[in-house]
Amino acid sequence: MSETVAQFLLGTRGTQRDLDAFVVATRFDRAGATVSFALGDGSVHLVALADKANWRKLDVHDGAALALAPDATQTGFISAGDDGKLRRIGEHDTVTGIADFRSKWVEHAASHPGDKGKGLIACSVGKFIHVFDQAGEKLKELPHPSAVTGLTFDAKGKRVAASHYNGATLWFVAAKTDSPRKLEWKGSHTAIAIHPDGDAVVTAMQENALHGWRLSDGQHMRMSGYPAKTQALSFTRNGKWLATSGADAMVLWPFFGGGPMGKAPIELAGGDGIICTQVAAHPQQEMVAGGFTDGLVVLAEVNTSRILPVAPPEHGTISALAWSHDGTHLAFGTEQGFAAIIDLSKR
Amino acid sequence: MADTDTEALVPVTVLTGYLGAGKTTLLNRILTEQHGRKYAVVINEFGELGVDNDLVVDTDEEVFEMNNGCICCTVRGDLIRIVGGLMKRRGRFDGIIIETTGLANPAPVAQTFFVDEGVRAKARLDAIVTVVDAKHLPQRLEDSHEAADQIAFAVVIVLNKTDLVTPEELADVEGKIRAINRFAVIHRTERAALPIEQVLNQGAFDLNRVLQIAPDFLTDDEHEHNEDVTSVSFEVEQPIDPEKFNAWIGALLQEQGPDLLRTKGILSYAGDDRRFAFQAVHMIADGDFIGPWKAGEPRVSRIVFIGRNLNRPRLRRGFEGCVVD
Repeated sequence: MSETVAQFLLGTRGTQRDLDAFVVATRFDRAGATVSFALGDGSVHLVALADKANWRKLDVHDGAALALAPDATQTGFISAGDDGKLRRIGEHDTVTGIADFRSKWVEHAASHPGDKGKGLIACSVGKFIHVFDQAGEKLKELPHPSAVTGLTFDAKGKRVAASHYNGATLWFVAAKTDSPRKLEWKGSHTAIAIHPDGDAVVTAMQENALHGWRLSDGQHMRMSGYPAKTQALSFTRNGKWLATSGADAMVLWPFFGGGPMGKAPIELAGGDGIICTQVAAHPQQEMVAGGFTDGLVVLAEVNTSRILPVAPPEHGTISALAWSHDGTHLAFGTEQGFAAIIDLSKR
Repeated sequence: MADTDTEALVPVTVLTGYLGAGKTTLLNRILTEQHGRKYAVVINEFGELGVDNDLVVDTDEEVFEMNNGCICCTVRGDLIRIVGGLMKRRGRFDGIIIETTGLANPAPVAQTFFVDEGVRAKARLDAIVTVVDAKHLPQRLEDSHEAADQIAFAVVIVLNKTDLVTPEELADVEGKIRAINRFAVIHRTERAALPIEQVLNQGAFDLNRVLQIAPDFLTDDEHEHNEDVTSVSFEVEQPIDPEKFNAWIGALLQEQGPDLLRTKGILSYAGDDRRFAFQAVHMIADGDFIGPWKAGEPRVSRIVFIGRNLNRPRLRRGFEGCVVD
């Protein structure tokens, strides 16, 4: 083991594996007991945080997994694949079907725990968002003018939103008659995030820029200057900052004091020309994890700019990155199939 | 672009042609005859494969304009997502074959592979193969401009259903094709039968192969064909001034972008032993040095345009004006 590895949290607090296929996504369940890694060979690997030496492999998709979400319930996961299937991974590692879209790719999946058993699951297939209740019963199908490129619930689970060509669309999940709020801006929008307070929507665009709308008055926001496309958007817990990938640093836009309009972003952990591919804001603290094309993973403290090295640039481009809901663990995966879990809980 | 390790990039073959020309027959042949190789096939919702293939992607062709105000700068948004998705399965297929719908304009498909950084990092456009119905092409050329566009962008033309026409009709159709695109290789076929090596792995968009000429290339116009789309080419023997060339080609592509379907060239820059290769699809251009001229090889700079409203004398003067003073 090289010397440098010990300086990275991967060496001192990490558990790692080579899973041999592109890590498409990683998620923790809502209870924070299990982490999953969905791969380009259609398998999903599960690790109980209390037993990290034991990695279980489930064959879930006949093709590649394309998206992963925690289930609406406290345990389990929802997985979507290019085999047209939306599947649920439940108790005792059972895999069941929620929906089958035949030859169409299921490209995005999201869930919301809801109140008292009224959780929701959503996925996107082509131009549609499909919404299901916690049991997997279909609630509705929401059409968009072009293929859905990003999918998210708002923080309260009242609305679901999609990005697509020429803008984004917001829907009230519980509406009896669906009348969407259309947010328009010419161009190809490729990812979406909703501010935790529910008052702004941000999308990433094909031409290496972000766009946003303030929902109260529809005011447009433009965040540009990126050398590459932004794949990851992550608001910090209180919505104070929007962390983004797509530059050679983690770029954080201020959503306070009237921002981001007219405000400059801060850049963390950058400056050596390596593009940041993934970011994930810590669920409680003002801290952001970031992954880069060379495989480097770092934690950055927003207020001090202090950087903590997590993984050395050795295992391939970071393609997946996520925090557990209680912020004690960080998981990440790479295009080469390297996967790791970092335990940041107090010793 | 010549720096990229092209061996590592997944080759993409685009199959285009009108409904009924034999595209699906050709596609089925490729899939059944390529023993031991796996292809991901991207077809539109209405396409149907006659054979089983593990990796078929159903797509909704979505053409969108790039946000630069240029109407000919379009890309296939769905392909950007699909290539990204397929790359997660990396190592499990040898190539991607994209079948376009009958009336499709190949330009957005080609431009997608030039313009999107994510796609360029993982895939390379290998060839545009156009399947043409020998009997009906003349009518198609009259009815629509897509038929001419599909021929103009082709690298390989499968001139199919030759059994349905007389030798004179065949010669006439071939003449019409040549008048549009003198640089594509034409294969005469029945039931789209031809050796698959003539369709796959052409490297046609590799800057190193940019002016690979068809064996029966004609240097002069012999046939009178009033085609809407034509090809012209020019040569100069004196060295080119790179700044003059960049200024001229930049302005030309800007001004006539929508009319210039394909542009290709190999240039000898003054004072440089390296060849400079250049290609464009409308305004989307790509160029790089591709290795030295051979000892004793005449350093002739050539440029080819395939497009509409080509003013031959003006283009010639423009090119000749790039020569070093």
